[in-house]
Amino acid sequence: MTALDVLIGEVVRMAPAALFNIYFAVAAIPAGFGFAILLALGKNSPNQIVNRLSRAYIYFFRGSPFFIQLFAFYSLVLAFNLSTWKPLGIDGFVLHPLFLGPAILALNTTAYTAEIFYGALITVPRGEVEAARAYGMSRRQRFWSVTWPNLIRIAWPAYTNEVVFLFQATALVYFTLPVIGDQRDLMNLAEVLFQRDYNVFLHFGVAAGYFLVISFAIFYLFGLIYRRLMRHLPQERRLKFSWRRVQGLS
Amino acid sequence: MLVDILPQGLKDFLGQDLVFWLGYISNGKHLNWYASVQYTLAAMVLGAAIALVVGLVAAAARSNGPLPLRWFAAAYINIVRGVPDVLFFLFFPLAFEQAVEWVYSFQVCTPETLALNAGRWPPCDAANISFSSFGYLILASVSLGLVYGAFVASVIAGALRAVPAGQLEAARAYGMTRMQVLRRVHIRQMWVYALPGIANVWMSIVKATSLLSLLQILDFVAWAQRLGAANFSRAAGLVHDDWRWRYYFVLLVFYILVTFVSEKIFGAIGRRLRRGMPLAEQNAT
Repeated sequence: MTALDVLIGEVVRMAPAALFNIYFAVAAIPAGFGFAILLALGKNSPNQIVNRLSRAYIYFFRGSPFFIQLFAFYSLVLAFNLSTWKPLGIDGFVLHPLFLGPAILALNTTAYTAEIFYGALITVPRGEVEAARAYGMSRRQRFWSVTWPNLIRIAWPAYTNEVVFLFQATALVYFTLPVIGDQRDLMNLAEVLFQRDYNVFLHFGVAAGYFLVISFAIFYLFGLIYRRLMRHLPQERRLKFSWRRVQGLS
Repeated sequence: MLVDILPQGLKDFLGQDLVFWLGYISNGKHLNWYASVQYTLAAMVLGAAIALVVGLVAAAARSNGPLPLRWFAAAYINIVRGVPDVLFFLFFPLAFEQAVEWVYSFQVCTPETLALNAGRWPPCDAANISFSSFGYLILASVSLGLVYGAFVASVIAGALRAVPAGQLEAARAYGMTRMQVLRRVHIRQMWVYALPGIANVWMSIVKATSLLSLLQILDFVAWAQRLGAANFSRAAGLVHDDWRWRYYFVLLVFYILVTFVSEKIFGAIGRRLRRGMPLAEQNAT
């Protein structure tokens, strides 16, 4: 067997595992997106209780490591197993990594996305909103026809980075959650294969290659969407390729 | 037990329950847990220091190096950032260990033992090396530095571009050489623009130190896992059942405290750096 055969065999062997990472990301993104809109509005709300709660949620999830969040929420759900999930007969579903993984990922990405959306929300041109108000639009109309289109265009580049980092965070899921049968993601499979023959460069290298390629694919796809969002503008403003993430607590 | 040294009057005042819990959270294992914060903090500081140096070198190589070096720096920055930090974090210490074993095998392996282990790793049994826990801590810090160095590099590259051209032209007009401009004006002012980005990278490093336990380092996280697991002892029977979630939420609070304190410190540094720079005040936040 030549080195190329070995490499191709490894790429083929890891392909199903990559699907698990993609599944985790795809399952977590819509929920995170939806909740983030609500949370961003909450952080901007004049209602003190809603405002404080939204801020606390965002601070909590952005200030602590996702790895520990996984541990904490998994063990919390596990602690309710005998008292709640088992009697209801839904323990197999609630404790399944294919449910719990995306659920905890969604909790995490909601906070990061909400911070991005909040940043965009407060930079939406004030004049446009005031004009809509002068036309007699209702609150709901103002939001969906003026604020939201502006918000998503401002937030899209930063949101793209958040999605890429969410995809990379899926590598952590199976360090915490139990592996059921042959359901392994890239990182877990790379570790299992490494334990067999100690070939760190082959297994980790191919796994890294998959992450790189899929990250680039996300950038490409989101770049296309960005171009569509910006199609009303005369000059072609393309999403610049960059890994920069508005992360941490700035 | 540490609570035994409390005066009896204070114990009566606190009541039996509270004294029991004080005793529980100050028993030997818990003291070990608190002490293990040092490894987490050491990895944070060492990792950040290495990331800063690596980032400066990579940013310099990316913009000013000879062509092959420039390509290498660009590849490093893009590849490391496109791969999950946990993957590189595990890969680097393992690859380093194998590289050391490979070099070592030339000394200790004979052709016979090499043939015996052909196709497997290590090359021969005598070349098997395992580092101490301290060694892994250093390796973990280096891999943190290598991963987040790539992030620092792009922050610094952006900050170098953000320094107003007029400042550099003025320095040139005063007759400074290119190196003098770079050292006295360009890099000095760069820090103001780089600080928010560097603060973000520091927060990421803080959060990434939660991965130390994956390298068998007995850090703050690993101890919490041990203490939280259901605890049987032959003398006392079941001490407590699965309490892991309580310990994990203590960890979350710990990390939030660290990020909160870092945020305050970076805010203070930023205010100090921006003194007398009205322009930077608008752009840097």
